Amino acid sequence: MKSKRDFQFDAIVIGGGIAGLQSALDLGDQGYTVAVVDKDATIGGKMIRLSKVFPTLDCASCITTPKMSSAAHHDNITLFTYCTLDNLKRESPDRVVAQLTQKPRYVDPDKCIGCRKCEYDCPVYVPDDEQGGFNMRKAIYIPFSNAIPQIALLDAENCALCGKCAKVCPTDAVDYFMKPEAITLTASTAVLATGFELSPLDQKPQYGLGRLQNVVSSMQMERLLAPHGPYNRVLRPSDGREPDSIAYVQCAGSRDKSLGIPYCSRVCCMYAIKQAMLLSGALPLADITIYYMDIRAFGKGYEQFYQNAKAMGIEFVKAKVAQISQADDQKVMLRYEDQEGSGGVMERDHDLVILSLGMVPQWNPEGICSVGCGQDGFIKPAIPKIAPTVTDLEGVFTAGVASGPKDIVDTITEAGAAAMEAANYLKALNGSTA
Amino acid sequence: MSEKEKKANSSAMKVLRQERSETIAKARAAVKEQSGVIKGIREALTPAPKTIPEIAEAVSMETEQVLQYISTLKRYGIVGEGAKDGDYFKYELTC
Ligand SMILES: Cc1cc2nc3c(=O)[nH]c(=O)nc-3n(C[C@H](O)[C@H](O)[C@H](O)COP(=O)(O)OP(=O)(O)OC[C@H]3O[C@@H](n4cnc5c(N)ncnc54)[C@H](O)[C@@H]3O)c2cc1C
Repeated sequence: MKSKRDFQFDAIVIGGGIAGLQSALDLGDQGYTVAVVDKDATIGGKMIRLSKVFPTLDCASCITTPKMSSAAHHDNITLFTYCTLDNLKRESPDRVVAQLTQKPRYVDPDKCIGCRKCEYDCPVYVPDDEQGGFNMRKAIYIPFSNAIPQIALLDAENCALCGKCAKVCPTDAVDYFMKPEAITLTASTAVLATGFELSPLDQKPQYGLGRLQNVVSSMQMERLLAPHGPYNRVLRPSDGREPDSIAYVQCAGSRDKSLGIPYCSRVCCMYAIKQAMLLSGALPLADITIYYMDIRAFGKGYEQFYQNAKAMGIEFVKAKVAQISQADDQKVMLRYEDQEGSGGVMERDHDLVILSLGMVPQWNPEGICSVGCGQDGFIKPAIPKIAPTVTDLEGVFTAGVASGPKDIVDTITEAGAAAMEAANYLKALNGSTA
Repeated sequence: MSEKEKKANSSAMKVLRQERSETIAKARAAVKEQSGVIKGIREALTPAPKTIPEIAEAVSMETEQVLQYISTLKRYGIVGEGAKDGDYFKYELTC
């Protein structure tokens, strides 16, 4: 595939999550031109998909959407969404080159006005991963209501090619013949902000291999709690019943050598406490229990947040859950060893169980970029103590969860630091400010 | 679009349909099945609002699948949430 489009910037940011957006905004505000590349059809990363955020319980979308919008409308920032990063190479001290493939949206981004007429008329329903699979989208769709850019995309794998979307589109934006397109970006510096994904729900035989009814991941729970979630309220996915008893299983995908994830994912204690608090607001009569090994409330105000949860009546049971199985009446049975109180092996049924899964890197640079990674797969900071955003690749920096699990506060702080390192690098190359 | 362009477009669509014949067949089968389920749900809700277990019984489907359909139909404005009935909510047609 020959590159049809070549662009030149001062900096390339890989990943349009909160880390990448913050780095791009900080660089853009200093007058540097920035390309933000994301593999998804929208920027925003995980944060835009969350309900509320600890420890302030601010609405995640209320904080993320303005950042997404500022980046999209910034004179110095250009977004490259729905692009695969094929190669990122440092060619010389002032030249880093990224080869991308623009995946076909089958909708002309310059013509689409985001009216969603195509989506409403499309006859094919497809399980919507953006809503935890709990409801369905159409084969042509906008990922979610605050996605940026608000441009539809057609899922060719599920398209019946019936022509309805093209017929109803008021701007003739649907183009069934679109092909992947090569893009080359050249810049002097780059920031890698590729974030994380959750460890798989189906990896542990003792936890039902993802086949048990009413056992969901923490990210699915974020969607159930979100105002624009699949049910617009918290319901038991197996039958739409309001749950009376909800349990969190901590360290369900991390601190577990048998899964190859021996490290702590850092945010799971806090997000479980946050979700438990939100649940007790949404379902005041429900019993909420958190089964934990130890609570890691590491940040400013976090211990207080934990104490508040206890005061609200959320039950904390010190135990490592050994087994999860299906019980009668679509309930879920937890078998655990109680490490406090009377001790011994206990069994308890719940209506809904959330697995606090671990964080694993979303991107494996192998074969794409020669940046060094640690044994855990996260990008390895070259000088972790005094310059944690510096990598072993000259003039290439990292920010956010790409280099290891962290919360939003630490992610944003690090993104600012990465932007500063990148700006210093550009300044040193140019011998003056931009 | 001129007549010539229209002709060229329709023959290009023909080629594309051939190229994508497998996925098209799969999508068409899905549409057929989904339309049947939605018709059944609409019929079940026409006389009166129902809970998920009641709809599931009426259409002989698993409650989990019915909830997925109901929340989808709610998303696209075809079904709305009604009154609470015990631990469940009732759902009603909006159009
Ligand atoms: C269930 C849950 C709840 C949470 N709740 C909170 C909370 O309440 N408060 C809090 O402080 N933290 C919370 N967190 C943590 C928070 O989500 C992270 O700190 C934050 O999202 C990290 O942002 P990021 O930009 O580093 O990564 P991400 O949000 O993962 O963004 C990475 C971006 O990079 C893109 N990308 C990845 N690979 C590539 C590639 N190869 N090419 C191009 N683009 C790529 C992705 O598409 C994505 O847009 C929670 C985490 C979870 C799992």
